[in-house]
Amino acid sequence: MSTGLRELVRFHLTGDGGGDDRREESGLRSALLAPYRDLSVLRYDFPLVLVERDDDGAIVRSLSSVVDGVLREIAPTGAEGERLRSHYLRLETAMRVLLSEGVEATLSELWGLAERKLLSESDETSAELLRDSLSRPGGAPRVDGEVIDCDDDTPARVFEHAWRAVQQERSRIALAEIDELLLKLSGILEADFQKSAEARDPKSLAGSMGDHVGDTFDFEAMSRVLRTVSSESSLSGSRRERIRSAISVLESQRFFEPAAEPVRDPGRAAAHSFVFDSCTRAWEIFRERIPEMVELVKAIGIAELELDNRYRESEHDALFDRFDETSLAPEDLALFPSYLVRLHDKDCEGSEKARCIEALSSGLPLKILVQMSDILGGPALANGQFTLGARGLQLAGMAVGMNGSFVLQSASSNLYQVRDRILRGLSYEGPALFSIFTGSVENAPGLPPYLEAASAMQSRAFPAFAYDPAAGPDWAARLDVAGNPQAEVDWPVHSFSYEDADLQRVSEEVAFTFVDFAASDKRYARHFAPVPPGDWNESLIPASEYLELADAEALDKVPYVSMVNGDDVLQKLVVDQQLIRAARRCSEMWRALQELGGIHNSHALNLLERERDVWEREKERELEELRERAVPAPASVAIQPADAIPAPAVEPEPEERSADEPYIETPRCTTCDECTELNGRMFAYDENKQAHIVDPSAGTYRELVEAAEACQVCIIHPGKPRNSDEPGLDELIRRAEPFN
Amino acid sequence: MVMSVSAPRCLQWSDREDYELEDYEAEVPRWCTGCGDLAILAAVQRLCRDEQLPLENLVFVSGIGCSSRFPHYMKTYGFHGLHGRALPVAEGIKLKRPDLHVFVNTGDGDCCSIGAAHWLHAIRYNMDMTVMLHDNEIYGLTKKQASPTSPKGLKSNTTPRGAYLEGLNPLATTLGVANVSFVAQAVDWAPAHLYEIISQAFHHKGLSFIRIVQRCPEFLPAHFDSFMQDPERLLLLTHEDGIPATPDLSRAYPQREVHDPSDINRAREIASLTDRIPIGILYRNEAAVCYEDVVGSDTLSTPKTVRTNLEAELDKFTVWPPSEEREGRG
Ligand SMILES: Cc1ncc(C[n+]2csc(CCOP(=O)(O)OP(=O)(O)O)c2C)c(N)n1
Ligand code: SF4
Ligand code: SF4
Ligand SMILES: [Mg+2]
Repeated sequence: MSTGLRELVRFHLTGDGGGDDRREESGLRSALLAPYRDLSVLRYDFPLVLVERDDDGAIVRSLSSVVDGVLREIAPTGAEGERLRSHYLRLETAMRVLLSEGVEATLSELWGLAERKLLSESDETSAELLRDSLSRPGGAPRVDGEVIDCDDDTPARVFEHAWRAVQQERSRIALAEIDELLLKLSGILEADFQKSAEARDPKSLAGSMGDHVGDTFDFEAMSRVLRTVSSESSLSGSRRERIRSAISVLESQRFFEPAAEPVRDPGRAAAHSFVFDSCTRAWEIFRERIPEMVELVKAIGIAELELDNRYRESEHDALFDRFDETSLAPEDLALFPSYLVRLHDKDCEGSEKARCIEALSSGLPLKILVQMSDILGGPALANGQFTLGARGLQLAGMAVGMNGSFVLQSASSNLYQVRDRILRGLSYEGPALFSIFTGSVENAPGLPPYLEAASAMQSRAFPAFAYDPAAGPDWAARLDVAGNPQAEVDWPVHSFSYEDADLQRVSEEVAFTFVDFAASDKRYARHFAPVPPGDWNESLIPASEYLELADAEALDKVPYVSMVNGDDVLQKLVVDQQLIRAARRCSEMWRALQELGGIHNSHALNLLERERDVWEREKERELEELRERAVPAPASVAIQPADAIPAPAVEPEPEERSADEPYIETPRCTTCDECTELNGRMFAYDENKQAHIVDPSAGTYRELVEAAEACQVCIIHPGKPRNSDEPGLDELIRRAEPFN
Repeated sequence: MVMSVSAPRCLQWSDREDYELEDYEAEVPRWCTGCGDLAILAAVQRLCRDEQLPLENLVFVSGIGCSSRFPHYMKTYGFHGLHGRALPVAEGIKLKRPDLHVFVNTGDGDCCSIGAAHWLHAIRYNMDMTVMLHDNEIYGLTKKQASPTSPKGLKSNTTPRGAYLEGLNPLATTLGVANVSFVAQAVDWAPAHLYEIISQAFHHKGLSFIRIVQRCPEFLPAHFDSFMQDPERLLLLTHEDGIPATPDLSRAYPQREVHDPSDINRAREIASLTDRIPIGILYRNEAAVCYEDVVGSDTLSTPKTVRTNLEAELDKFTVWPPSEEREGRG
């Protein structure tokens, strides 16, 4: 072993000497990040446009997708559309550049600025062509909204925007329903008022017709006529009072507000605000508003019952009296707007953290956004272990453990990819925790926040996952880790090409590990030692390979990471043992998450193994049996046809009755009033308004016979006379004959 | 994601109030004894009772005629309108109050004569309501004039030598209208079947049109006797998607045909039968579009929105004095 190499092994094992303290000047970055020096020339998810919710339900679009949308509309395929495509892509780049220079604007403003900039930079002929391309009909963006790049403020802006979209939709629906309740409740009062003497007063009659009528109409006379009609109010005093007070609660509620109210009623109290920077504060305010929520819920309840005419004072008075803050169930709270709490990782400590946990476990509709800028923590730590961003990760882990909370963890670089998840979490009935890593310019000065966030996710230091309790009853349905790059493997692998010392192109597959992520953080510079190219040899192996070795195999190996300096010259840096330990822990945590997310799940794999055993033994046994018996194939068994013909319906036996008794085939009665008119004591209607004989002795035999003759459907059977003294019986019996 | 505002279930609880048939009865009908309208009224009242329909959610609309007196006899909302105009009134009600169950009772004169234009368009508009055509093939209220459905040769006060033309066939007519969604026929003297038809019509979403062959014993005493006395002259339509054949029905009506209500071509043939009266569901199409569903707007017509929209409309035609130009237009 050369002295240089021996030094490196010593460094690797002890961390002493050789550590790179000059990171800031050298502009080192992970070799895999080399191609991304200038983000403004790349097309990727950022910048984002925060659009008004459109028909597809989208609330955020990437600038590239907007430009592509325009091109799809106006640029024909093939060479013909080529000029348009190149011009619009130039426009897109110009917008990216403007944004990276700090311009804050909406899409339409930025579009205009970029257009002017491009035109002013072009010579006359190309400006002409450019102007022609950019002014094509349909060549302007269909959507508008603020354009934002990926920085430490991005999550707050995206979430606030999304939260507002969700709330506006909820308010729109709630207001429409409240308005409808109000309209109908007022309708009840109005209808009742029209019956009052006051409404029928000539003056108020005249007023309801407008002032153009003059004396052409005699309201005195009209009033006199109307007064002859009953003017009884159908509303009791208490009912009217109840309806009035429900109206007043519904009218003065402060939870829902129209998206754009042209003129606000000056007498009205301002609508409630629901965005906070502290969980404790949001919680307090939430509690303060409970009585108001109770009032609103009760008013809605009263309105619904009143409109259905189902409010019974004997029952409901007590029911509504008893209804208080303790009666509000989570689904009732879900009617109201949710509370958006925007936190930073440094806020999530002490009482605030306790409050967050309490809020999440209580099921209150709090939507907590935790923006994390530092997941590694400072390197000076007790017993030589890094915290691995324990602060933020712990909270997300705990929230998942609480089962009832929606949890989304993602790097800010991926916000566009998880936009639908964000909406789901914000629309979810219960609490939600969004843990978003933004990176920090302070710790990783060489990297734009987008790249730092993306590498946190690539390196598994900040894996993405979503836990959605509404997605199903079990973990398989609820937890999703598929959003991670190459989620099946320990570390994602990418191809990497460079030129070697002989200017030959070399391509290799390189894994991006936790070590690569830590390498960008200036606080960790001393855990890396550069290896002079002269010392590069087989003992040096990539950190990802080293991490897979057993202790014995690792003895004569030294792990390194590939980085490039500011001039894009490839460097190898030895990694010290302490960082390797941290990487191992990171990979263990990642594997645990994979398992929960159903990837390489140990329970499932064991089960699979067992089942496969059972299956194989079973198959073996069957084969064995077949071989032994070697019987001829069984003759096919004729299938018995199911009895396709249903048994004839059993006709109900007509009721046993004496031929002497009169009767009516009641189910065939057409309610024609003939018999009931003839003798209402003998013939009467049943509860179905069909005739039957209630009392044969309530009339004469003559009436029975006449009814039978009058009945057009011939269903009255007069039977035999009961009173043999009735005059004219012979003739009556003869007439009754056809009906018996 | 769309969540509706509603009170907690514990506050919605209320004791169910049972409606009896009498709760739907208003004044004593002024129809002649023996009139088929009485059977229709009883069937409708039975339906309301069985469905436990709250009185205040029902509205019966009619035009003019004996049959059109129907709303008076229901203790619900009602509108006894103008001759021939029951359907437009009912459509207006449905448009404004989609929450109400709308029923229309109309006569052969009311519907097929003076109201024929409205009738055809109502079938096409297919708004959710139950329409009962009380067809006695005569003008009853005005004392026996021929109606469009009177059969050729019928002697009446306007056709003393007998009606000159073949009667109009209400079933065939409705089955020829675009977007028709439910056509059925019943006779007033088969109460169980009549009830079943009205019930299925009530549950159909869209305009359900029932022609009910209705006796007018006052002016046409024996008019339908041949059909009443000879069950062979009724053709019972049965189908698992229509009125299934029960033992009772099968015993009463020996002439039966299994007819699939989705088969409009066969429905048209059945509608045109002259020797027998087909009874049952001729046609049903749940997929037909309802006018109120496609024309409705989401915004509620509160007095405020009405006023605002009206002001905005009128403002378009307002000539502002130059001094007020700015404030006026806001
Ligand atoms: C505009 C107008 N024209 C004529 C009349 C007279 N009129 C009253 S009822 C009626 C016919 C009713 O016949 P139908 O609809 O079959 O009802 P029925 O009495 O037979 O049930 C007529 C023509 C009227 N009331 N209004
Ligand atoms: S006469 Fe016949 S149809 Fe009429 S009510 Fe009496 S039993 Fe019923
Ligand atoms: S005239 Fe005819 S239709 Fe009118 S009530 Fe009398 S029987 Fe019925
Ligand atoms: Mg008639």
